[in-house]
Amino acid sequence: MTDSSLFDRDARVRRVVESDRDVAALFAVGGVCLLAAFVMFVLDSTMAVVPLVGFVAATGYGWFAHQAETARALTFLGTVSTVVVLGLITVYVFLEAWPVLQLMGVRLFGFTDPITVFGVTLLPGVESYWSTSEHVYSLIPMIWGTFVTTVIATLIAAPLGIAAALFLAEIAPPLVRETVKPAVEILAGIPSIVYGYLGFVTLNTFLFTNLEMANLGSLFLVGLVIGLMALPTVVSVADDALTSVPASMRDGAIAMGCTEWQTMKSITLPAALSGVSAAVLLGIGRAVGETMAATVILGHSQRLPDPLQDVFDNTETLTSLIASQYGNADGLHMNALFTAGVVLFVTVLILSVGARRVEIRMERKLGGGE
Amino acid sequence: MSHTDESALAAERTGTAQRLASAVVGVGLVTFVLSLLSVARILTEETTLLGVGLYDFLALGALAMGVGVVVLGVGSRTGAFETNPDDTPGLVTAALFGVGAFVVAGLVASQTLGLGTLGWFALAAVSFVVALFAVALTPEDIGSTLPAGGVAVGAAALVLGDVLAPGFAWEPVGFSATFTGAMVAPLVLAVATLVASWAAAKAYEGYGSRGRQTGAYLLVGINAVGILTVLAGLLAFIALKGVGPATQGFSLVPFEWPFVTNGYSYQPDIVNGVYPAIVGTVWLVVGAVITGVPVAVAAALFLTEYAEQGRFVGAVEIATNGLWSTPSVVYGLFGYAFLVPRLGGSTSLVSGMLVLGFMLMPLCLITSREAIKAVPDEYRDASAALGVSQWETIRSVVLPAALPGVLTGVILGVGRIAGETAPILLVMAGGLRDDAPDVLGSFEFTSAAPYVANDALLQSAPALPYQLYATITAGVSAENAAEFGWATAFVLLVVVLSFYAIGIASRIYFRRRLNA
Repeated sequence: MTDSSLFDRDARVRRVVESDRDVAALFAVGGVCLLAAFVMFVLDSTMAVVPLVGFVAATGYGWFAHQAETARALTFLGTVSTVVVLGLITVYVFLEAWPVLQLMGVRLFGFTDPITVFGVTLLPGVESYWSTSEHVYSLIPMIWGTFVTTVIATLIAAPLGIAAALFLAEIAPPLVRETVKPAVEILAGIPSIVYGYLGFVTLNTFLFTNLEMANLGSLFLVGLVIGLMALPTVVSVADDALTSVPASMRDGAIAMGCTEWQTMKSITLPAALSGVSAAVLLGIGRAVGETMAATVILGHSQRLPDPLQDVFDNTETLTSLIASQYGNADGLHMNALFTAGVVLFVTVLILSVGARRVEIRMERKLGGGE
Repeated sequence: MSHTDESALAAERTGTAQRLASAVVGVGLVTFVLSLLSVARILTEETTLLGVGLYDFLALGALAMGVGVVVLGVGSRTGAFETNPDDTPGLVTAALFGVGAFVVAGLVASQTLGLGTLGWFALAAVSFVVALFAVALTPEDIGSTLPAGGVAVGAAALVLGDVLAPGFAWEPVGFSATFTGAMVAPLVLAVATLVASWAAAKAYEGYGSRGRQTGAYLLVGINAVGILTVLAGLLAFIALKGVGPATQGFSLVPFEWPFVTNGYSYQPDIVNGVYPAIVGTVWLVVGAVITGVPVAVAAALFLTEYAEQGRFVGAVEIATNGLWSTPSVVYGLFGYAFLVPRLGGSTSLVSGMLVLGFMLMPLCLITSREAIKAVPDEYRDASAALGVSQWETIRSVVLPAALPGVLTGVILGVGRIAGETAPILLVMAGGLRDDAPDVLGSFEFTSAAPYVANDALLQSAPALPYQLYATITAGVSAENAAEFGWATAFVLLVVVLSFYAIGIASRIYFRRRLNA
């Protein structure tokens, strides 16, 4: 009796240990296969398919023999791969940009006139801003173009978007809110190329005739279109921020005899400020990275507007530079386009981290306020 | 006592002041809308209304509003109207009028009087200070109505006095654009009527905090309606332009819809269509979903069910947000540098699928994570109490409960990537063509690694958004290029917005069911 129970336990323990060993072996095989496949793919070997099949086989076996452990490992792999993808993007975009980063150095941000302070050259000048034949690549005109269009877009999308969010979240009756909010979210989905087409076919000629401009296409129009495009996104996110303000805060103000407008101005908006700023930052991020509208509307000349503040001039943005030149670029020229990508990538990453920080602060503040 | 108060209040509601204020707001809204239509050149200076030229008509409206607003203010001050104004209109109002004065004085000094930078700036700054203090130090009823009335009357006078006539042209130095009277006059009138309407709305409620609320609500409301109108107008415009060419030769019985079922054949007598592009887009979406969604859902599961909050999770969150915000053109560059050389060396459908899959990943991850988080912990506890293992709980309790949320996220993500042009520009391209990519029929086994080949996957394929771009750059058959473009834009819009509509509708439905 005791013998058999002892035997039983032994067997169970052995089974568990064996199963553990089995799982460990399985993970080792699967992991090595996947790693091998990845490395071979990166090294551009078509043989990568062999270890990949091995990985699939190991996973298949694991799914039937040790489902729980396999599932857990697979979810872990999924998580890791998001980091890997971001890593790959960073590495490859930088890698391709490297030759030109090396060639130009700080002159990547150089003006045609060197910047000197007390006889010390801080920023050496470039012969011309963008010359593919002489391999001189300065991103200054494109950065200026992106900056100008982003500022115009923000000036449109931020105030109007926040006001509209205020209307949706605080003023509109429930029925209006329930129909308009989804409508705004759907409008946020209009593809940018559609805006671009509209700008190219209709708005370009409209401004050309009615403002008697020297050229079709202008930074002003691009900013206008991008601002319009970013509006629904800003409205929707800012509305979420406003509605997440606890009702108790609002009720307190109303109970003190404030009008609804006073409550909005002095309680709701300040409380939701971080969320609303995050919405605006998201909008700015979208404006910086917006490609198609700028590409289609602008006439692509890689120079600074003359004079600088002329928003009706027809120059270039970082995104439209890439989209308009990739087709006939190779060698250093292509690498130069990647430097534009690097600048975009870094800018937007900073904006996104900033927005996330602000959001975290809001969550903490509202959580603590309750 | 209380009874007489009530009747006095009730009488006041429909008093002269209220009627005048509503009339001013009413005229203001009409003038505002007509002015904006003139800025958009839908109405022009050649239009006549009631025997008066449009611009003069609008100016007369602004003039009447200005006078009405001044009457409202003076009436309140002299006690003719029952109001309860504050001591001051407030610093914000004063500052805004100050900025207005700064702009007007600056423009007049620099452009009309031709003063130098120092001169116009000094004059503008003085105007700003004077306006700021003048408004801030007067009682609210006078302080908000007189300047507003002044703005309206001034704008009207400029237009009626033919200073801002259609022939007016202003060519600011340093800008390569000319502002003509035809554009500027209605713009100035629109601003003026908005200011006057705001003042009248304040007067309607008798000033004070309630008056300020009404004034602000008017502006906020106009803004919201304006945004929706512009965006809806945009959709309507594209539909108007696109429906005609998109439904050319359409018939229900027998079913024929050449634009959707034909390719681009470059033949004059056959309707050119977008069938290959539709098929290409479908394949792109399928490929992206296969690549992106499983990974995203797996990561979301790991982050919510297995992982403890810590450094690794923090890193993943940063990576997700980074991926989410990375501009689409950078994804394109990445695909060009990493995927294209490794997948056949030329732009291809499979590269496009993978790049869009990578873009879809963060979108789905964020929404799936929210959906899995939203599954109440009671479900998990109840399952655990029954002795069910963690994985069994996830598989049979958590995942089914979170499925609607996950699906919604996928649908919305697909809507977004289906309309993306910038990434496929660099990795897929593929112009106008007659035949659709045949992915299923192109699989074949080969003797050398990788042992499976698919020509259709390794070639460029057309897609709706890229095709729209191609109609612009390539300027396809010049004759009806614009029409073909509008029709493509319309079809693309219908496809993308249907995804959004379905996704959002399902989200609302499931949220309601969860709360019920």
